[in-house]
Amino acid sequence: MTRHDDGVTLPAAPSAGRIEIDGLAKRFGPLSVFEDINLTIGEREIVSIVGPSGCGKTTMLRCIDGLVKPDGGEVRIDGQRVTTPPRGVAVVFQHFGLFPWKTVFENVAYGLRLSGVPKKQIEASVLRHIELVGLAGFEKAYPYQLSGGMQQRTGLARALATEPQVLLMDEPFASIDAQTREILQFELLRIWESRPTSMVFVTHSIEEAVLMGDRVVVLRGRPSSIHEVIETGLPRPRTREVLSSPRFNEVREHVWSTLMQEAEQAERELQESR
Amino acid sequence: MSAVPQSAPLVRPFVLNPGVRKLAIRIGTGILLLALWEGLVTWLAPSYVARPSGVARVLPRVVSSAEFRSDAKVTVVSVFEGLGIGVVLGVVVGLTMGRLRDVDALLRFYVSSFFAMPLIALVPVMTLWFGYTGTVRLVIVSFGAFLPVCLNVYDGTRKLPAQYVEVADSYHARWWNVWFGIALPASLPYLLAGFRLAAGRALVAAVIAEYLVSLKGLGYFILYDSRTFHQNEAAVAVIALALLGVAINSAAGFATRRLLPWYRPS
Repeated sequence: MTRHDDGVTLPAAPSAGRIEIDGLAKRFGPLSVFEDINLTIGEREIVSIVGPSGCGKTTMLRCIDGLVKPDGGEVRIDGQRVTTPPRGVAVVFQHFGLFPWKTVFENVAYGLRLSGVPKKQIEASVLRHIELVGLAGFEKAYPYQLSGGMQQRTGLARALATEPQVLLMDEPFASIDAQTREILQFELLRIWESRPTSMVFVTHSIEEAVLMGDRVVVLRGRPSSIHEVIETGLPRPRTREVLSSPRFNEVREHVWSTLMQEAEQAERELQESR
Repeated sequence: MSAVPQSAPLVRPFVLNPGVRKLAIRIGTGILLLALWEGLVTWLAPSYVARPSGVARVLPRVVSSAEFRSDAKVTVVSVFEGLGIGVVLGVVVGLTMGRLRDVDALLRFYVSSFFAMPLIALVPVMTLWFGYTGTVRLVIVSFGAFLPVCLNVYDGTRKLPAQYVEVADSYHARWWNVWFGIALPASLPYLLAGFRLAAGRALVAAVIAEYLVSLKGLGYFILYDSRTFHQNEAAVAVIALALLGVAINSAAGFATRRLLPWYRPS
């Protein structure tokens, strides 16, 4: 696999994690969103982050990419402190973030063009990645001509085309219909098997968190912090059978009851305050 | 294979296809208006007042005259020059105002004020600065074109969805990548709408400047011929101006369809 970003050469250091989150905290004005987040993510590891809406999981992801400045602690990727979006890290957004005036081809090429990759290389890489996500034949289509699922395939291809070592997934399938979501989940898993990276997968769907993750990080409380980190212990490659395995159900029920406890507690507090 | 038996109509009703129908209505209206004009003028007005038959009679002579041609050329060239200057400046200033808060605070109030003000009011002042020259016309036309383009591009840039900028940032875009690669294309629909306004304002500005400053051009051609009782000749120039306006607007519409195949007005 060729590297075409001009970032630092990344040392292979499997002992230390690829992503190290150290005492991370974020406030919006007087409101503390999350605090004291400590997490290390390995080189070929998928870590799901799950929590109730408003717990700051999306903000945390933006801190990892340097899009949002944390108010405390720091994120290091391959030992380098993150202050701006680092090379070798790509984000897939819930809102897809496709540019409506660009075709599928041009949208997928966006990251490569900004890095000044030679034209021929861009074309080859873009076509390869469009094919990888199953969009061959749609190169010249505009986003408005695509379904939500196809738009997110384009978003995924754009991220993968930069050949990142770290993939940050920000509720990527949250605004896609249920059947398409399931198809995309397994396609993402298939693609990941062919080129494993570090992946942080933020979601509010417990099933999705368990299905994708090697570990599931459960955020709880206000301000939220890491309540529990669960090793899913599910085999890879993951196929549809995983969904009906006892272990999957066990982990899912566990995460569910953990989050429900909090939801019930929040409900009670709300009642008492009335 | 319909289960319900249907009897075929014996006589097909006479139906025009919608495009032809629209064109027929348009042409019919035109003929009606011309007839009305001809009739009213013949009935009520003195013989020197312009009427369609008179305009048609002088049309070949006027259009082939060197005077008309050079006047038309002067006006058309200054309108296009002014539009060019106005659009370029409007895009640059509009983008800057839209992206930089301080420039917004500095300029927007004044740009909006000028937009609300009738530009004609400036012409006499301009003659003090630039004399009775074509520069006055160029400045007024450019300024008239600049204002709507600037305000529209500003609007488009301000409404730029934050998610586009976020994506650009995540792919290490520099400020100029965001300005010209994201904000400008996202504002293109606004820019083209602004251009249509600008084209209208530019034509008006050119004619007004020619009237008030007595500059050679179609506007002055109209003024001079009207005052010397050559009203049919003047009408030819009026029609030429109308056609110019229509041509610029159609070109803008064509450009919208060609440049913005992705644009779906909601």
